[in-house]
Amino acid sequence: MSKRVLCKFFAHGACLKGEHCEFSHDWKAPPNNICTFYQKGVCAYGSRCRYDHVKASRAQPSTPSSSIIENQPLVSESVVLGNTRITSNDVTTAAEFSLSNTPYVLPSIPAWNQESVHHDFLREDDVVQSIITSPSELPICSFAAAGNCPRGEQCPHVHGDLCPSCGRHCLHPFRPEEREEHMMSCENKQKHLEALKRSQEIECSVCLERVLSKPTAAERKFGLLSECDHPFCISCIRNWRSSNPTLGMDVNSTLRACPICRKLSYFVVPSVIWYATSDEKLEIIDTYKAKLKSIDCKHFDFGDGNCPFGTSCFYKHAYRDGRLEEVALRHLGAADGDTIIAKDIRLSDFLANMHLS
Amino acid sequence: MIDFARVQKELVECSKDAEGSGIRVIPKSDNLVHLIGTIPGPIGTPYEGGVFQIDITLPEGYPFEPPKMQFSTKVWHPNISSQSGAICLDILKDQWSPALTLKTALLSVQALLSAPQPDDPQDAVVAQQYLKDYQTFVNTARYWTESFAKTSSRGIEVKVQKLVEMGFPEAQVRSILEAVGGDENLALERLL
Repeated sequence: MSKRVLCKFFAHGACLKGEHCEFSHDWKAPPNNICTFYQKGVCAYGSRCRYDHVKASRAQPSTPSSSIIENQPLVSESVVLGNTRITSNDVTTAAEFSLSNTPYVLPSIPAWNQESVHHDFLREDDVVQSIITSPSELPICSFAAAGNCPRGEQCPHVHGDLCPSCGRHCLHPFRPEEREEHMMSCENKQKHLEALKRSQEIECSVCLERVLSKPTAAERKFGLLSECDHPFCISCIRNWRSSNPTLGMDVNSTLRACPICRKLSYFVVPSVIWYATSDEKLEIIDTYKAKLKSIDCKHFDFGDGNCPFGTSCFYKHAYRDGRLEEVALRHLGAADGDTIIAKDIRLSDFLANMHLS
Repeated sequence: MIDFARVQKELVECSKDAEGSGIRVIPKSDNLVHLIGTIPGPIGTPYEGGVFQIDITLPEGYPFEPPKMQFSTKVWHPNISSQSGAICLDILKDQWSPALTLKTALLSVQALLSAPQPDDPQDAVVAQQYLKDYQTFVNTARYWTESFAKTSSRGIEVKVQKLVEMGFPEAQVRSILEAVGGDENLALERLL
């Protein structure tokens, strides 16, 4: 039952329990947005509260809430499952509630939720512990994980082992997969931080400034050239490649070339960090390409438009029904035996080649 | 829009190394658009000993467009106009790269002084002379350096004055001084 409610911590990207969490880690699950203070009687935020002020039985992780729903079918239907299942009958009830319910005139103990009001947190702990038997089911102490647990030895929760990377007691002693997962993500974070540190020193050869010390966040990015390893900031290299070919500067030989080594590169990849190895560079480029591949190409426009980049386009070429564009390249055998790829053939091409005698 | 922050950095960088390279860039006025660069004539060439001034104007698109450079000191060189001082150098035109700086561009100009390209001339007369009569070219270039590029460029005038006072005709003195590359004693030997 509880799996259906979205985990608040997961929603903020900070659930330490991973797949052992008793709440749902699926974005499709409906979030539980009911104000607990309102439920207990008075919410100090009143109408400005960002949680829903509705009279409902609280869906508790350890108690099957189906029984409560049976007791108060009207209320729970209109609220717990909120926007999905509102019958005409419920709408009026909900409207009545919202009209009559200003937080300051509420009775301090609402009749519909007496049980909940007397609910004690310590007792909840006891309930949880009595149900859980296997050590891997025990939740990890979040105080210890964050650095210091005031309860020390007396803490009813499991104190995690020290993670060598982040230096916090957040490794669950009885959940090997979770440990693995945490260590992995921690190592990656550590690597990213180190790379970021290394990248701080690197200067753009065009503006002669440190790329990561630029004033705006948009400028604090490197522009990676596909064919060589000279660092530039993204704005400088894009500026150069898109600058007007004045004075006979050729787009394909001068502007597309690296300003330092003059090697031609066909694309530039933005990246926050500078790479140390070619594998890292490849990884950055692949992630970037994969990201673009998930974005619909605005030139292609679901098949209505015409993308000048054709099959080389990094963006997604899909039709409205989700079908991907299929391109059958036409190979033509040229007179000298080479194979060339035919582009769009126009009638004018034939006419231009015709020799009228 | 000119990237003035970069220009400022370039000037600082250039002044740090001014002793080593001999290349200097100073602003002409206070707006950093017009600058004056100076390069020493490369050793072992007819330009040795001279200090050449180059007028630099930064275009609106700098550093994505090449700076406009022109000799304000008269130079006798196949790739530099003897009349206007215009420089024929690929990196100042279609081979410009934003990774180049004023200093590196001036270094290239200095390299051009020591390695003329008469096949791609700016000044046809000089290029002809370079190809047909190399010795005269060297002498003329040396004389021009002596006359226009020496910090004491009045020096040549003093020598002319001296020789004229000895009783030689001025036109002959000038042509012989030019032929021997401004050497006063050599010129006197020739005249005698």
